[in-house]
This record gives sequence, structure tokens and C-alpha cells, in this order.
Amino acid sequence: MKRPKILTVICVLGFLSIVVSFPQVFSPSVKKLGMFMPAVFGLLVAFSFMAYVGVWFMKRWGAELFAITFFAKLIFFIANNQMGMSLWFSAIFHLFFLVVFLRHYNGMDKNL
Amino acid sequence: MVLTLLKESLIFALHSLVANKLRSFLSLLGITIGIFAIILVFTIVDSLENNIRDSIKSLGNNVVYVQKWPWIFGPYPWWKYMNRPLPQFKELAELQKRTKSAEAMAFTVGGSKTLKYRSLSVRNAQFIGVSHDYWRIKTLNLKGGRYFTRNESDAGMPVVIIGAEIAAGLFQNTDPIGQEISVSGHKTTVIGVLKKQGESLFETSDYQVITPLQYARGILDIRSEAADPTIYVKAKPWVSNTELIDDLTGAMRGIRKLKPRTEDNFALNESSLLSTGFDSLFDIIGMAGWVIGGFSILVGGFGIANIMFVSVRERTSLIGIQKSLGARNMFILVQFLSESILLSVLGGVFGLLLTWLMTLVGSSIMDMEITLTGANIVLGVTISVLIGIVSGFVPAYSASQLDPVEAIRSTG
Repeated sequence: MKRPKILTVICVLGFLSIVVSFPQVFSPSVKKLGMFMPAVFGLLVAFSFMAYVGVWFMKRWGAELFAITFFAKLIFFIANNQMGMSLWFSAIFHLFFLVVFLRHYNGMDKNL
Repeated sequence: MVLTLLKESLIFALHSLVANKLRSFLSLLGITIGIFAIILVFTIVDSLENNIRDSIKSLGNNVVYVQKWPWIFGPYPWWKYMNRPLPQFKELAELQKRTKSAEAMAFTVGGSKTLKYRSLSVRNAQFIGVSHDYWRIKTLNLKGGRYFTRNESDAGMPVVIIGAEIAAGLFQNTDPIGQEISVSGHKTTVIGVLKKQGESLFETSDYQVITPLQYARGILDIRSEAADPTIYVKAKPWVSNTELIDDLTGAMRGIRKLKPRTEDNFALNESSLLSTGFDSLFDIIGMAGWVIGGFSILVGGFGIANIMFVSVRERTSLIGIQKSLGARNMFILVQFLSESILLSVLGGVFGLLLTWLMTLVGSSIMDMEITLTGANIVLGVTISVLIGIVSGFVPAYSASQLDPVEAIRSTG
């Protein structure tokens, strides 16, 4: 199935957000949270990237992985008391992405 | 099932890395340099930070310093500080009477002096005159000898306690206790030697000569600005610094007879002021390290992605054969992803090894302990794995999606 334009736009924005999030993995603010926090946050960033790749290729696992990482990131930030204004703003954006992915979920491929 | 898949993928990945030694080495180099740069910066910053924080801690967390000048300047015009009076010894007794939250107080003055013992001399020793309760505020780790008695302090007897470096400089093979040294021509007896403390940013006891204040009066002008007269106040165990500062502010204003609307003409300094100042400095240094290292890592990541795309292209026909023999998409994906992660982690481990070697060299050259911490090792490995996943996923996924017939036909 051909990828809808909205998904292309979201995926490009997603890849850009990964580029921005990637250096945050070793930022002093995440480092301060604890010894293994950069590792946990890094894995979440890596899974987000995989999710965007999956959606780019119109795969259902991409949308599913996106939903899992979205909630996992939310829990990570709330548990570490890091939810500032910018993160809430980003969460709203990602929630919108998730809704769009779910709307196109039936048109996506079930296979890997 | 999953373990078998991972094991087989890793074996494939290792074979591939060994088969293309030069290419593997070159792509490793990018990650090695990236991890080395970023972890070295973090290690140096962490070590510096620990060193400075230890130095600040040595000033005492529950000690407030009554002085003329503040340690951190605010918007208050500097020239107003110039007209402030210096703390005086007579204010110490008044302060002791008026404050309830202080456990101990001491008045100190200091100056730089040359010490002599026979033909040996030590220049620029930190000569400090202290009132008797100084030992209750500062922990004096004595290697030998004793502290002044109350009588020695009150009578201003010519006795001193010397730091480890002073002892080493003046008494190379002799026990310093009981020996007579000369401080600016005044003969004085050594009654104690402090343990070696090592370098510190703010003050080290190694170069100090501590003497009773009443004796120091004859050597130093305790009313001069150069002597930096200071009243040390230590809070009672259950009293916070804020409470102590409030108490001291009221007492000092009373002693100096300041009217309600008049500004304070004294500074109450505490070590947390310095910590706050250094927090922002270390945030900036950390950020700089983060940006420098980030770019190095980015370059390394692109290198790995490039190598992985080349690798997929080279092995397209092999992928076709594997798929036609029954290999599933997941197997191909994990195989290439493992190769990328393995490559990246190997690069990261070499980078960490280089960093560790640099810390050993740095520690031996500089008089400061530089330690590669567990947190930085975990961070280095995390970044390597992350780079491996992000730069290898797209090539690995495109390999897994190849059509077996088309792939076998490919000439690579």
C-alpha cells in the first residue's frame, strides 16, 4: 500500500525528533537521574527510531512499537519527575502522531 | 528459539567482521574516537567536579564565616563593601554572648611568612593565628604532638602546629615536635604536626602554621585587611545554616548598632554559596563536552551506517541464498543488526580502554585523581549500542525485505 502523505510528514518529523533526542541520552540532565538512566532512555530513543522506520515502510509493528515507546517514555519522564512544559508539549504532539498511526493501522502490512 | 537466532546472528556477524578486517577497523575507528572524546570529557569534568566539591566540603557544611567581603558578589555595588569595617576580636566575645544557635566560634587572622630552622627555610607558609576554640570548628588531623592548651592560647605562648609539607621542608630527618623554628625572627616551638591533606582548591593544611591568636598579634597586624580577620561560627547539630545566619545577622547588627533601615555592613559566607556558583559552571562545561562528543559520535554513526549499506549490497546474493534456503526476514534483520551493534560496541570498548589509559597518564602527570567512573563506562557502552542500533537498523531492515529471487540474481 502507498504511504499516505500525512504519515510521510510525521515520519520525517519523527526522524528529526530522534536526531534531537539522541544527544539527550548523554546530556548532563539525564546523567544526573542515575547510572542506568541514560541506558534506559537510550533504548527508548532507539525503539522510537525503529518505530518510525516501521511506519515509513507501512508496517503494523511500527505503529505498535510507537505506542509502546510513547507510553514507556511518558512513564520514564513522570517517574523521574522530569515532565516540564516542553515535554508535555512534545507528548501532545506524539499523541497526535499515535492517533494518526492508529487511523491508518488497518491499511498497514501485518508482516515484518 | 530467540537465543539460537541471536547466537547464529552473532556468529555470522563475527565472520563478516573478520573477513573484512580493514573495513571493520576503519569503521571501528570512528566510534572509538567518538566514544573516547565524549567519555574523556565527561571523566575530566566529573573528576574536576569531585575535586572541587571535596575542597568545598573541607570548608565545613555547617560553618558560617563572618567577614567583610562576600564570596559571591550580587548586584550590590562593590565600592560599598570597601567602607565596611573588618571583623574584630572583641566582636567574637559579644557574638558568643548574643547567639544561641552556635556551637563554637573562633577568630582567625593569617598572612604569608618565611619559616627557618637552622639552615633550612620555607617561604610563603600560611601563618594563621587562631582563638582557642578553632579546633572545635576545623578538624585538625594530627600526625603527632598536640593542640594548644587553654593557658597557651590565653597567654599567647610561642607554640605552633605545622602542616605536613612545612614539616617535610624544615625537618627532613628530624622529629619536628619540640624543635624551635623562627617565624619572621620570632622563635617558636613546634608542638604538633598535621597529617598530609594533599592539594585542594581553597585551602590545604599542608602549608599552614597554626599558632595562638595572642601570639600571632606580635607577628601580624590583626586589624589590617591583609590579615583577613574572620570569625568562624559552627552551628549546633540541630540548627540549620539558615537559622544560624538569621541569628548571626541579628547579633551582628546589634553589636555594630545598625539602625533597622541600614544595610548590613558584614558578610555571612557559607560553603553552599560556592557550591551554587560551581553548579552552573559545571553545567556549562558538561554542555560543552556534550556538544563536542555529540558531533564526534554522529560522525562515527554515519560511518557505521555507510559500512552496513555497503555490506548489505555486497552480500545481496548471499541473502538471497539464505532466504531461499528458508531463512526468515527476522533472521536476516537480526544478523545485520547484530553485526552493526557488535562493530559499534567493539569500537566503544576500545574508546573506553583509551580513555582509561588517558586517565592513568593524566593522574600521574597532574596532582589530581582522574577516575573513569562506572556511570561513564555504562554511558559509553550505552552510546555504542545505541549508535549500532540506529545506524544499522535501516540497512538491516532493507536487507530483510529483499526478494530472494531478485537477491540471488544480483551480482553484488
